[in-house]
Amino acid sequence: MPYTITEKCNGCGACARICPADAISGEKKAVHKVDGELCIECGACGRTCPREAVLDHKGRHCTMLKRSQWSKPSFDRKTCMSCNICIDACPVSCIGLAEPVDRKGAHGYPYVRDEKACIGCGFCALSCPVDSITMVFPLPKEAKVSQGEGKSAAG
Amino acid sequence: MNRGYMGKILMVDLSKGEFLEEKVPDEVYEKYLSGLGLAAYILYQRIPANADPLGPDNILAFVSGLLTGTGSLFSGRWMVAGKSPLTGTWGDANCGGSFSPAIKRCGYDGIFFRGISEKPVYLYVSNRKIELKDASSLWGKDAIETEELLQEEYGPNARIAVIGPAGEKLSLISGICNDKGRIAARSGLGSVMGSKRLKAVVLDGKKRIGIHDRIEVHKLSKMCNRWVQFQPPLGPSIVPALLGTLLRILPTAMAQDGLIYKMILRQWGTGGLNQMSPEWGDSPIKNWKGSSKDWPLKKSKSADPDLIKKTEFVKYHCYSCPLGCGGKCSMTGKYTETHKPEYESVLALGGLCMNEDTDSLFYLNEILNRAGMDTISAGATVAFAMECYEKGILTREHTGGIDLTWGNTSGVIELVEKMIRREGIGDILADGSKLAAERIGKGAHEFTVHAGGQEPAMHDGRQDPGFALHYSVEPTPGRHTIGSQLYYEMFQLWKRVKGIPKKWPFEIYPKNRKYKASKDQALETAACSKYMNVINGSGLCMFGCFLGITRTPTFDWLNAVTGWNKTPEEYMEIGERIQTIKQAFNIRQGVDPRKNKLSPRGLGTPPQAEGANKNRTVPIDKMMADYWELFGWDPATGRPRDETLARLGIH
Repeated sequence: MPYTITEKCNGCGACARICPADAISGEKKAVHKVDGELCIECGACGRTCPREAVLDHKGRHCTMLKRSQWSKPSFDRKTCMSCNICIDACPVSCIGLAEPVDRKGAHGYPYVRDEKACIGCGFCALSCPVDSITMVFPLPKEAKVSQGEGKSAAG
Repeated sequence: MNRGYMGKILMVDLSKGEFLEEKVPDEVYEKYLSGLGLAAYILYQRIPANADPLGPDNILAFVSGLLTGTGSLFSGRWMVAGKSPLTGTWGDANCGGSFSPAIKRCGYDGIFFRGISEKPVYLYVSNRKIELKDASSLWGKDAIETEELLQEEYGPNARIAVIGPAGEKLSLISGICNDKGRIAARSGLGSVMGSKRLKAVVLDGKKRIGIHDRIEVHKLSKMCNRWVQFQPPLGPSIVPALLGTLLRILPTAMAQDGLIYKMILRQWGTGGLNQMSPEWGDSPIKNWKGSSKDWPLKKSKSADPDLIKKTEFVKYHCYSCPLGCGGKCSMTGKYTETHKPEYESVLALGGLCMNEDTDSLFYLNEILNRAGMDTISAGATVAFAMECYEKGILTREHTGGIDLTWGNTSGVIELVEKMIRREGIGDILADGSKLAAERIGKGAHEFTVHAGGQEPAMHDGRQDPGFALHYSVEPTPGRHTIGSQLYYEMFQLWKRVKGIPKKWPFEIYPKNRKYKASKDQALETAACSKYMNVINGSGLCMFGCFLGITRTPTFDWLNAVTGWNKTPEEYMEIGERIQTIKQAFNIRQGVDPRKNKLSPRGLGTPPQAEGANKNRTVPIDKMMADYWELFGWDPATGRPRDETLARLGIH
């Protein structure tokens, strides 16, 4: 079941602009439509719609969330096997392969190459066969300092 | 519909510039899987009898596998199929990189091309658009340049397959390239793409791939990955090299476990065998005339795996591969980097031509990748020319001043460059050794080693007769990626499939047993052929499957992805069906399967006087007949019997 758009839609076009599958179409200021054949159920339209006019694949109302609050993938290099599955699964091509840090193994590991492009769909985490990817919601502002420290400690 | 496959194919008519999207019924997938099975089913029905391989009737298929994009591991192979202009038989080639999932992301299990375009074009497919675009400005550019230009236009997510100048110039040993240095090289299908004036296929879809039971697939993948990650240090590269020497000296053979080969692949890539293989007689030397004595460790040191590994700055993983046998290497000279030269390339351009120069191997690898020419066939053809030169059939006058003495590195390089450009002697040699011998005449055919026109890979049937048999008996002759005695040991199929011989790992047996035609031998070969068809239908990598059927759970993955609940025997029957339809395709095209037998020299007739394969002859006629009989094909002619076709439901 694909996502659908209800009559509440005011035709602002935000969903059509963000849809990575080019599945949403509609005239300006008119109710937009999702092409069920093309919809990949990433949920970006639902998170971005200011009118909350999008129903998800189970018919539930989606809530709008500020883009800075969308979840982002975090990669665990200890279990990652460099298989590239997440790179292909990403509908907005925001995951790249980092140059190897350690010359001995010389395997490249995935990282978010383009933070701004990420739509927080979680397809990378869903498709990872060894569960190396977790979707992390950004922490509230006051906690940000400690998060930064944690990152640098992990390398 | 969540069964792993997309249920649709795209048929592109290049003559008319038309696209037709076709639904494929579920029964077809249940009978032929996807990938090469689907291609065989479609091409068998649609390529008319005696079609010209380079004419409008031939259909070129780009197919992805059933398991590709489902969370299973090793499932990043895509395949190209069509009638081969090199052999006139069923032709297919297989390649990794990231192109395979891209076909499915466009919503198709396969993209098929028929007809011939008036001017050079390339195909662009995205979620909403299918277009044929003008490729006049790309025509003549090499494979990597073309890919970079298209990547600039369509962004990093676009997946691109292209032909290089070799394919454009209809060289019958040309292939189709992707990911800047991977190439589907065999069967000469690059020339089919060139004959259609199709320069590239650019795929940029974002569609979903539905799966029946994702949790089960991931569970199986985790189990498989644990085996892949098991990697004790193997020591320096002299260890496998000396193991090769030991295997040559011992009067006994030992059944292998694929886990050891996996470790070699993980550490060095396919090149891990560069020194080991010539030692125990697995690599042909000096145009199949020489032996391990002509290519001792001192000489094979030029392709020392550790030496090559030093230049590797990053490992290369194809899509969904946890192993990463490929690599990117830095080099000096005109080009600064190249994909790590594979074992086949190194031996074909090295030992087979007696070429001892390491740098030249990197350079030749890169120019052949850019030209889109098969390194195996190119190396074998150069070796053939060198022997003609030695015998006086070719002289400096013929070669345009090139000195083709055995091992003359600059001669090899100049000749390969001429073959790519199709200049002078290069024009005669650019279509492989069989045609070259016909053009040269004067008994030159005596020095060619081929099966139906295809130069076999660098695995000697005199060491492992399984290779000789598969080279000779397959609907796609001369191919090393289907089976052998060694592969049978590593696939460990007996653990899941009933009625085939057991060969426990590390079981020691007398070497002589390998060289006798027996019922077990035929059963093993047939099992490899059938299983490899399942692998090619699934889009799996053969190297991954070498881990063994319990560690790389092909059948379980297929059941979890499709929800079919088929038994291993049922999957093997699918493999049998695909094998038979390919043979039926050949018969319809007027091929006489008996003529695809490997050249006498490759079979040990007459046997070698020294080296690892001394005094060995492969009893090929008996082995071929046994194999055909087992498949229900006429043992005298290799034609599938009517009742066999009826039993398998092939019409």
